[in-house]
Amino acid sequence: MGKPDAELDKERRAFIKKVLNGAIAGSLLLVIPMPIGAATEEIPEQIPGIRGEKWDMFNQRFAFIVDITRCIGCGSCCVADRREYNVPEGYYRTWVERYLKDFESEVYVDSPHGGLDGYQSPRTDIEVEVRDTFFVPKLCNMCKEPPCVQVCPVGATFKTPDGFVLMDPKRCVGCAYCIQACPYSSRFLNPNTRTAEKCTWCYHRVRKGLLPICVNVCPTGARKFGDLNDKNSEVYKLLHEHEVLTVLKKDMGTYPALYYKGLRREVV
Amino acid sequence: MKSSYNSHIKRIVLGLVVFAVLGFVGKIVMMPKSFGKYGPYRADAIDEEANREIRHGTNASCLSCHPHEANIHLAGLHKTISCEFCHGPYADHIKDGKVYGKLPVKTKEEIKVLCLRCHNKAIQARPGEVIKTIVMPEHLESQKVKVSHTCDQCHQVHAPLKYINRAKEITGIKEKS
Repeated sequence: MGKPDAELDKERRAFIKKVLNGAIAGSLLLVIPMPIGAATEEIPEQIPGIRGEKWDMFNQRFAFIVDITRCIGCGSCCVADRREYNVPEGYYRTWVERYLKDFESEVYVDSPHGGLDGYQSPRTDIEVEVRDTFFVPKLCNMCKEPPCVQVCPVGATFKTPDGFVLMDPKRCVGCAYCIQACPYSSRFLNPNTRTAEKCTWCYHRVRKGLLPICVNVCPTGARKFGDLNDKNSEVYKLLHEHEVLTVLKKDMGTYPALYYKGLRREVV
Repeated sequence: MKSSYNSHIKRIVLGLVVFAVLGFVGKIVMMPKSFGKYGPYRADAIDEEANREIRHGTNASCLSCHPHEANIHLAGLHKTISCEFCHGPYADHIKDGKVYGKLPVKTKEEIKVLCLRCHNKAIQARPGEVIKTIVMPEHLESQKVKVSHTCDQCHQVHAPLKYINRAKEITGIKEKS
């Protein structure tokens, strides 16, 4: 009679131990602060097929498409870009221009504060009847034949085998030659570091499978970015459809990888 | 006589050899390690750029910790808007998986300014199929509310028609569109 009792006791003890362990572990989970917020690797990837794969330097093709017909000039892209890179006041890696046309097809362009504050009010400094207004976001064109790379005397700017035109701030001597060479004015000399800076299409984000920040924050989908090796990507489909896609300053022979959808002749 | 003939040539050759050696050593010492791997630039600069700090997350990274906002935001018309545009970048809020700073909460007038960045009809460049626009203060007058009203008094900022649709449900009033 004594034996089963002891066994029962044992089982009971084991059971109580288990429960207590579980309860202690559970309460500890509540007390010890667990890391919150997703690390970069935990954020769902936005460009498929990059994470977990070895980056093939020589087989990458990316394209950027700006849809003029969808841009509402809110300036989200400019704000996000500034925050991502801590761009100094008065300089812009990307900016949004406003084009106005009157009934004589005269064109008026402005970009107050680079579109950073958005376009809160209509233009008041011109006394014409406006027929048409549209916004044009500008950024680095990632030329296949980049003039900025050609003129750099120290190899501080270069075109990577995966198609991005990047800067090496450690080598840049700040001669500003590239700033003069860029036909799209997308470079500037950072007054703090005294080196040239430019839009990189958020290379650091793309390499981790995230969209460039301006594309990520665009509320209307006016900015599109994607992998041309991926036949399901939006940019691949757009580039292979009957869309009006043009590049800026084609005659310069720079062969940009940045395309504009619905771009008008007036835009330079 | 012959040796004196050669001596100046020897000097020249020796000079050239010394010049070449100095040049070669100088090139090795002064050229950055990865220079020339892909082209006439420092290949390590590519990795340095790729490892730059990511300051913005995505909406998914914000909403993973804010399920209440996620429910509202993802159900509304504003689901394409980035959290970080109004609230500030992720890196100012979270560092190494811990809360690091508080992002400022936008209030009354700031909210109105943020709304009108996109919804101002006075800018004639906003196509109706892309965005619904209004003119201030005509919008407030036509809705028969005080002109001093801010947008968030009628519109839930994360889902602008949430309150309005609910009010219509309750009252059964069908508003002209």
